[in-house]
Amino acid sequence: MIRAFRAEMVKLLRRRVWLLTAAAVVVVAIGGTAIVLGGAEPAGPGASGQSLTLQDLANAGGGTEVFRRAASFAGFFTFVVFVAAIAVEFGRGTFRTMLLRQPARLRLMAGKMVAMLAYSAGVLAVTMVLTWIAARLFAPSQDIDTGAWMTMDGLAAGVADYAAVLFWITGYAMLGMMLGVLLRSVPIALGVGIAWAGPFEHLLQDAWDPASRFFPGLLLEAFVAGGTDDVEAMRAFVTIAVYVAIAAVVASLSLSRRDVTA
Amino acid sequence: MTVHHLPDGRPSVIAVEGLTKRYGDQVAVDNLSLDVPRGVVAGFLGPNGAGKTTTMAMLLGLARPTAGRGTVLEFPLDRPTAYLGRVGALIEGPTFWPGLTGIENLRVIAKLSGHDTRQIPELLDLVRLSGRGSDRFGQYSLGMKQRLGIAAALIGDPELLVLDEPTNGLDPAGINEMRALIGDIAHDDRTVLVSSHLLAEVEQVCDWLIVIDHGALRYQGPADGFLGQVSPVLTLASERPDDLDRLVEVVRTAGFDAARERDGITVPLNVAEPRDAAVALNKEAISAGIVLAELHVQRPNLESHYLAMVEGGDR
Repeated sequence: MIRAFRAEMVKLLRRRVWLLTAAAVVVVAIGGTAIVLGGAEPAGPGASGQSLTLQDLANAGGGTEVFRRAASFAGFFTFVVFVAAIAVEFGRGTFRTMLLRQPARLRLMAGKMVAMLAYSAGVLAVTMVLTWIAARLFAPSQDIDTGAWMTMDGLAAGVADYAAVLFWITGYAMLGMMLGVLLRSVPIALGVGIAWAGPFEHLLQDAWDPASRFFPGLLLEAFVAGGTDDVEAMRAFVTIAVYVAIAAVVASLSLSRRDVTA
Repeated sequence: MTVHHLPDGRPSVIAVEGLTKRYGDQVAVDNLSLDVPRGVVAGFLGPNGAGKTTTMAMLLGLARPTAGRGTVLEFPLDRPTAYLGRVGALIEGPTFWPGLTGIENLRVIAKLSGHDTRQIPELLDLVRLSGRGSDRFGQYSLGMKQRLGIAAALIGDPELLVLDEPTNGLDPAGINEMRALIGDIAHDDRTVLVSSHLLAEVEQVCDWLIVIDHGALRYQGPADGFLGQVSPVLTLASERPDDLDRLVEVVRTAGFDAARERDGITVPLNVAEPRDAAVALNKEAISAGIVLAELHVQRPNLESHYLAMVEGGDR
């Protein structure tokens, strides 16, 4: 697995990838911060549900809550990246090339996933810091007091928000990986994944209220939002963890049993 | 771990028995048994769709056999992790990451197999890509891609090299270059299994041949033995076309088979010395008053024998 991890890192730690990632990080950090702060409502009778209030932002975890909300805009993008990154290895034939050098299929996939998630974790950490800095710079324009952000409580809230976003990314990554492994084609995997997590689940949610408590895309959305009226964050966390385990088992079975002919 | 030996005592690097692969009703490889001795360059021949790639995929752990068993480097086929570290392979064309440079692609392969990346410049030099290592793989010509594939297969100095149609899609110059490269990388301690659908592409570098068709074995053994299966043919033509029928009678009377062609006759020879038969038939023709305008021995043609074999002529 370590060899597969190192090999994947050769692909990820390239100047071109760095530059593209840096651009995405800046867009999410600055753009996301502006959208989150601009959309925050004053506390009062008008503010309800899961909407973020200016009072929330003045709390100790306000700075990193901005990151958490900003990162949630990138959920769809994350899902697409993981589906494509796995499916393209099959479609292009590079998974076969890798298997010739690392025939232990599960170790190969595990190393690749760990590398991609480690890279994602690093990118998330940088994004969180940049978002926090951007939020501090924009906060005065919204009359948000950031004094509490630089306390130990603020740090603890930051760690919790980071862990939550990382878990959320991992959930999308594992579901994307499973689709990529099962369907082995970028357009088909993306088509199925986007149709499922996008219109299909939301249509189901509109037609059947309990859908929010059972379907993975809706649970991931609920989790990163810190819970919704329909499903608590902890329930979402546990259910997503079950989905992650199922995705790992299904992908492992497919990987170990199917021929690699492309 | 099982050491399998050929009848002549040489150890087999690849030994399979009854290897079969079915996809639904379609049989891709049919009860194939073959041996590849250590240290040879083995040509794995068969027309497109004969089952070469499927066989190689099973040898390399990419596809699971429906039936049969075998060993590669003395380890059973169902344990590819035990032997693939000593095998380099290029199968179904060179597939790498198009956005990565040649060097980066080789680094990925070296890291995956746990080998030292310091050998990469030497390998690029060997495949004559040292000046293009920093270019992206997507910008390579097909010939360059194939050569990078060979370089990747050579990482770790493998004992067994499996090359699937490395000349596919190359122009004649590229084919010559690839043939020379295969000659360069073959040596006593390394066995090379190279597939092709054209015998002419590999016959010059192979000392062992395996011919399959429709998933079944048609020949395996030394390249010389394959050549020995073919009889030389004597071609005769009379000065006057009217004498051809009489010439056929003369040849048959002399104890040879003769086939009438449009402008002459052909005589398959099952004799050790075809020159003696030519002299004898020339004398017989002169005795019968027939002047020969043409008399020559056609030596065994490997390509035509191969084509006859895979196209059904020898069945």
